[in-house]
Amino acid sequence: MRKLALTALALALTAGCASQTTTTTATATAPEVSGRLLETGSTLLYPLMNLWVASYQKQHAGVQITTQGTGSGTGISQAIAGVAQIGASDAYMSDAQMKGTPMLNIPLAISAQQINYNVPGLNGVHLRLSGPVLAGIYSGKILTWNDPAIVGINPRYASKLPHHTIVPIHRSDGSGDTFIFSQYLSYSTPSWAQGPGMGTTISWPAVASGVGANGNPGMVETCKNTPYSIAYIGVSFLDQTQAAHLGYAALRNRAGAFVLPAHATIAAAAQAMVNKTPKDERISLVFAPGKQSYPIINYEYAIVNPHQTGAAARANLVAFLSWAILPNGGNASRFLDEVHFLPLPPSIVKLSKEQIAKIH
Amino acid sequence: MNNLTQRARMQPVLGVGTGIAAFASAAIVFLILIFLLVFAWPAIRFNGSGILTGVIWNIGNQYGSSTVTHNGVTAQAGASFGGLVFVFGTIATSALAMVIAVPLSFLVAVALVYRVPRKLQPLANTLVELMAGVPSVVYGLWGIVVLVPWVGNQLGPFAQAHLSWVPLVRGETGSGNGLLAAGIILALMVLPIMVATLRDVILAQPPTIFEASMALGSTTWQAVTRAVFPSVRKGFLAAVLVALGRALGETMAVLMVCGAAINQFPSNIFQAVNTIAAVIVSQLDSALTDASGMAQRSLAELALVLFLITLVVNVVARLTLRGADRSAQ
Repeated sequence: MRKLALTALALALTAGCASQTTTTTATATAPEVSGRLLETGSTLLYPLMNLWVASYQKQHAGVQITTQGTGSGTGISQAIAGVAQIGASDAYMSDAQMKGTPMLNIPLAISAQQINYNVPGLNGVHLRLSGPVLAGIYSGKILTWNDPAIVGINPRYASKLPHHTIVPIHRSDGSGDTFIFSQYLSYSTPSWAQGPGMGTTISWPAVASGVGANGNPGMVETCKNTPYSIAYIGVSFLDQTQAAHLGYAALRNRAGAFVLPAHATIAAAAQAMVNKTPKDERISLVFAPGKQSYPIINYEYAIVNPHQTGAAARANLVAFLSWAILPNGGNASRFLDEVHFLPLPPSIVKLSKEQIAKIH
Repeated sequence: MNNLTQRARMQPVLGVGTGIAAFASAAIVFLILIFLLVFAWPAIRFNGSGILTGVIWNIGNQYGSSTVTHNGVTAQAGASFGGLVFVFGTIATSALAMVIAVPLSFLVAVALVYRVPRKLQPLANTLVELMAGVPSVVYGLWGIVVLVPWVGNQLGPFAQAHLSWVPLVRGETGSGNGLLAAGIILALMVLPIMVATLRDVILAQPPTIFEASMALGSTTWQAVTRAVFPSVRKGFLAAVLVALGRALGETMAVLMVCGAAINQFPSNIFQAVNTIAAVIVSQLDSALTDASGMAQRSLAELALVLFLITLVVNVVARLTLRGADRSAQ
């Protein structure tokens, strides 16, 4: 018995020595990052983070990154508190928040949102909708699908639009999707800007048929189960909305054209906003100019504290973020296509790099 | 070393240990109350009575630069923390759950005691107790996938067509997410605890009450309603209050089916509602981004309101149970 224990101990010791030796050689040949990182926040970014981390850890054996889908607000507050190194957020931080604790808002990728509906007989076609019409629906001023405001921009389907109460579905939880949806309404409809305004959660106007759903899965499920409903759903749930046979709308953009969410129209909108993106990269991409631009897109952010303690931990964080924004790194289509995100335009990669360089 | 001295030595350890445990449970309740009071204090000053009387819940314009100050406390411009919709929803969903669960649980308990064959009773009891062990998110999932579509697509249209003369049924029935779905889910969740309490109360009665009644020629129904029920009335009330305490604080399952109403009351049992517990969970993430911190603190104030409501219900339940014990003796 004792002999066995001794042998085991000896084996463990040799094993320990062996692994130590290999690590040393690795460090000697190429400076290699290692250590732990905690990422928490946006549930929209969470699936992408998991794809990234699995691949990144394969290349960097010494790095261990833990990911958590907790919600953007939690991500921001835990990054500020120093609990997490990366707070993932669909929304950039407000001026008021930045005044409290200045943080880096680093875009990682571009996301979009579609307006889905469940109108029996019309789910196979793309209805046209605009900001003011959506604002009317979500504030209870447009109550039925055959309202003149809807029929007016959908003359082709005038006879098919039913006289049936619209059920507007909104997110009950705080959400980046609510943020960009309410931005679209605010930027296109002055009365909405003054009323409910924009935010990750807003004070929804009272609509008797209206209903709140929890998370994007809740939005898909409720829209699927509720005929005559309408919902705003993040593009990373495109596969689920298609499996549920929901229709999705062509939206009126700033130039007045109706555009569908597609690779080309999302890229066009992103390109239109490149020159407007400030150095701190906190900007809304919603309602971008240009005839081709799809109006509801956004940067997905990593919220990072510029002050990081410990050289090794800092190097680890910088290396991961730098990899994440590279076209042949985290922004490669093999990752982004899975969640229907788009890569950052080259000049935005440059801005993000400059921000990452500020981590000290 | 004999057993007796060992036992004597263990005595004070046990005494101190149980003492600490007993003190800790009281202290934890007290500390939670203190925490909520301290953390919510700025919100209590900012909101005044509005938390109980206001209808509009708005954490304010987070991306604007202006703020409002009230009673020396600052929040983002446009902020309004009216909690009446949520207080109403908390009470309404729980009350509806009681309306459904009370008669049902009484019938189940009576059946378990008097009608289920003695051999099958352990199995039946286990099944009821298993219901209590099902996680609330499972009830919620069933609610989203099965109950809500049924209420929205079958029951709602049926009620609109045939029951529009009933006051709380007529009108827009919406998606099925709402007061009725939340009430049904809650009823199912509190059913096991009510059945178990009731069954024990009935079993604690001398069987002669039931047997004598039967011997006098009454039916089972008559024996139960006229002889057994009067003797277990207080225990029955206590069971209802214990279940009510649970229903008031239930979060996840309710959040998934209640329709998360904001700024409005339902005008019938089908429309969306919201409860204090559900709104705390769903609004917390955004509240964390409120630079003024008032959204978080107002949610804590709502938590305090919920805490006080459940505390009152629990105290009343305790007092009633004590009364029931005494009357049983």
